[in-house]
Amino acid sequence: MLSRSILVLLVLFSHFGPVTAATAADCSRTYTLALHDHGLLYSADTDSGIDKDVADELIRRSGCKVTVSLMPRARIWQLIESGALDFSLSGIANADRDRFAGFAWYFSNKYYLLVHKDSGVSSLSAFEQNGRLQLGVIRSFRYSESANRLVDKLQGENRVSQAGGLAPLYQTLMQGRVQGMIIEPFDFPALEEKKIREVTAILEFNDPPVPHGLIMSKKALSTAQQEQWRAIVSSMRADGTMRRIFEKYFKPELAASMVNF
Amino acid sequence: MTPARIRDSAGRVLSSLLPPLILLVMLGITWFAWDHERQTAHKALRSQFEFSLHETVSRVEQRIVGYEQMLRGVQSLFATTTLENQKALHDYVEALQLDANFAGVQSMGVIRSADFPDHAIDPVRRLALERARDSGMAANSGKARLAVDTTKDAPPAFVMYLPIYAPGLPHDTLEQRRANLIGWVYAAFRMNDFMASLYGGQSPGLALAIYDGTDPSDTTLLYRSGGGSSADRAPSAHAAIAANEYMVLAGHNWTLSLRTLEAFEDQYGRSAQNVVAVAGTVLSLLLALLAWQLVNGRERALRIASAMTEELRHMAQHDLLTGLPNRALFSDRLNQELARAKRHDGRFAMAFVDLDRFKSVNDNHGHNVGDQLLQQVAGRLTDCIRAADTVGRIGGDEFVALMEDLSDRDTLLTLAEKIRHAMRQPFIVNGTELNISCSIGIAVYPEDGSSADALTKSADEAMYSAKEAGRDCVRLCE
Repeated sequence: MLSRSILVLLVLFSHFGPVTAATAADCSRTYTLALHDHGLLYSADTDSGIDKDVADELIRRSGCKVTVSLMPRARIWQLIESGALDFSLSGIANADRDRFAGFAWYFSNKYYLLVHKDSGVSSLSAFEQNGRLQLGVIRSFRYSESANRLVDKLQGENRVSQAGGLAPLYQTLMQGRVQGMIIEPFDFPALEEKKIREVTAILEFNDPPVPHGLIMSKKALSTAQQEQWRAIVSSMRADGTMRRIFEKYFKPELAASMVNF
Repeated sequence: MTPARIRDSAGRVLSSLLPPLILLVMLGITWFAWDHERQTAHKALRSQFEFSLHETVSRVEQRIVGYEQMLRGVQSLFATTTLENQKALHDYVEALQLDANFAGVQSMGVIRSADFPDHAIDPVRRLALERARDSGMAANSGKARLAVDTTKDAPPAFVMYLPIYAPGLPHDTLEQRRANLIGWVYAAFRMNDFMASLYGGQSPGLALAIYDGTDPSDTTLLYRSGGGSSADRAPSAHAAIAANEYMVLAGHNWTLSLRTLEAFEDQYGRSAQNVVAVAGTVLSLLLALLAWQLVNGRERALRIASAMTEELRHMAQHDLLTGLPNRALFSDRLNQELARAKRHDGRFAMAFVDLDRFKSVNDNHGHNVGDQLLQQVAGRLTDCIRAADTVGRIGGDEFVALMEDLSDRDTLLTLAEKIRHAMRQPFIVNGTELNISCSIGIAVYPEDGSSADALTKSADEAMYSAKEAGRDCVRLCE
C-alpha cells in the first residue's frame, strides 16, 4: 500500500517536474534565440531582463544548446520568417505573423500612449486629430487593436517616426521631435526618471490585454517541436516560475495580472 | 402661352443648357479620376518611400553587424593569447585579408584596460568603452575625429569597441565584467568610407543624411548622400515625403534622415495624374462642343425647314414667272372680298386684262422674250392699282385685278384707261422695243353678279366684248 502510494506520488511529481518526458525538447541541433533591447524585457547595458531570465530558464529546462544574440526587433521578425532564427521572446501575433510564426503565450499586458504635456492633448482622439503631432514607434512593433489602428492611420498621414529601440524614442520625445509614443509596462522604469515623468502624461488604450509569448519560426521548427517548447512554457507557468520572474521586475499585483490571463 | 409653346420653349432652354451641363459633369468626372489617380500615386509613392527607408536602415544595420563579426574574430583571438602579443594581432588582421569589402575600416587595434582611464581619451570614446565593458557587447562611439585626421575639417568618423575579458574568469554579471576586463579591440571608421562599403544600392531620387544621436544638426552630421548642395541641406519645402528613423547601432543612436527629391516623385507618380487631368479636360471640352453642335444643328435644321415650308406655300399660291397671286390665291381673295361685301353691303369691281396678240411676241421673239415681257407687264399692272387691290395672273396672257370699295363707273373707267395706257407704252426686252396692247373687261358686284362664278363670267364677257370691239379698249359689263 505504501509502495503504491509512493509510486503514485512519484508519477505525480514527475508530471510537474522540471524535465519530464512530456516537456523534453528535441535537442538534435543547436538552436538560435534572439533578444531585443527593450526596457525591462532586456537591457544590453546590464545584460539582464525578463526575456533573458525566461530564455535562461527555457534553455535550462529543455537541456538544449541555444545560442543567444541581440538584434533589432525588425531584424528578428525578418529572420523568424525566413527560418534563419528559431526563437525570440515576448512576441504578439497578427494575421501576417501567424503565417510564419507559432507562439507559446506566457503573459499579457495593456498598451498606453505616453504624450508630452506640451502637446496639450488629454485624450487619444485629440492626439489623433491634431495633424501637427508626431508619433514615435519602434520599427516592426505591433500593439493592441486600437493602438495599431492609430499607428496605421498616422503612418498614412506621414505622422510617424520609426526608431530601432526605446531609448531614442524617449530622447526624441524629450526633444519635442515626437509628441507621443506607445508604451508597455516594461517601459515604465524610464518614467521613474523625474525629468521624463514631469513632462509626460499616460493615456490608456481601451483594449483588452494582449497576450505575449515565445516566438517560434514555423520554417525552422516542426509542429511537434513547437508543441514540445509550448509544453516547457506551460510548465514554467504552472509551477509559478514565470510569476517569480515577473515579480523580480514588477510589483506582485502587476506581475500577477500579467502572467494570469 | 399654350402648353405646346411652353413645352417648346422649355425644350429650347434645356437644349441650350445641355452643352455647359455636359462640360460641368465631364469636368467633375475628370476631377474625380484625377483625384483618385493622385491619391493612388501618393500611396504608391509613400509605400515605395517606406520600402526605401526600411531598406536603407537594414543596409546600415547589416553592415554594422558585419563589422561587429569581424571584430569578434579579433576578440576571439585574445582568448588564446595575451593583449601584449601585437604580432598575433598583426598576423590575424593580415590573415583576414581585409579587402574592398572591409574598405570602410580605417584602423583596427587593441586598448589595454591598464592604459584606461589614465590614457587621455575623449568623452565620446570613453562612453562607448564603458558601455562595451558593462554590456559585454559591441559599442559604437558618437561622432569622433580620428587621430590620423589632423586637419581642421576632419571627416566625421566613429569607433566600434568590443570588450576583452580575462580568459577563464567569469563575466556574467556587471560586477564580474568590470572586474575582469583586460581591454578592448576596436575598429575605427570614416563615415564616408563606411557608407561606401554598404551592400546594395541607394534608390535614386532620395536624399539621405545620417546624424549622430537623435538631434539632427550641422554639428551632429555624419554623412550626406552625394555631398549635397546648399539647397539640399535646407529642410526641404518641396519634398513630398520625408522621415527620420532613429536607429540603434551597437548601443548607439543614429538618426537616418531620408526625403524624396523631384526625380523620385516623377518616377513613382504624378505623370499619370497629369495625363488624366489634361486628357479629361480636353475630352470634356470636345464632348461639350459636340453637344453644342448637335443642339444648334437641330435648331438650324428647324429654321431651314420652316423657311422652306414658307417658300413652298408662297410657290403654291403665286405665279412662278411674275410673282403675282395665281388663280388659287386670287380665287381665295375674291371669295373673301365677296363675303366681306355681303356682310357690309359693300361693292367692289373685278377687271379682266388680256394682252392683245401676245402669241405673236412668243412666235417672233421666242418664249424667253415673251416671259420677260409678261414680267414687265405684271410690274406695270401692280404700279397702276392701289396697294390694297389685288392683281393676279390666271393664264398665259390673262391678268385679273380685284378693286375693293370701287364701284363708281367713271372712276373704274379712269383706272382701266390708266392700265390700258400703261400697256401701250413701249417695253424694252433684251434691247428690243416691243409694243403691245390689252383688252379690259370690268364687272361690278353686286350688279354684274352676286357670286364668284357669276362675277367672273361677267368680267370675262366684258373682256371678250372689248376684244370684239377691236382690242385695245375697255368695256364695262352692260
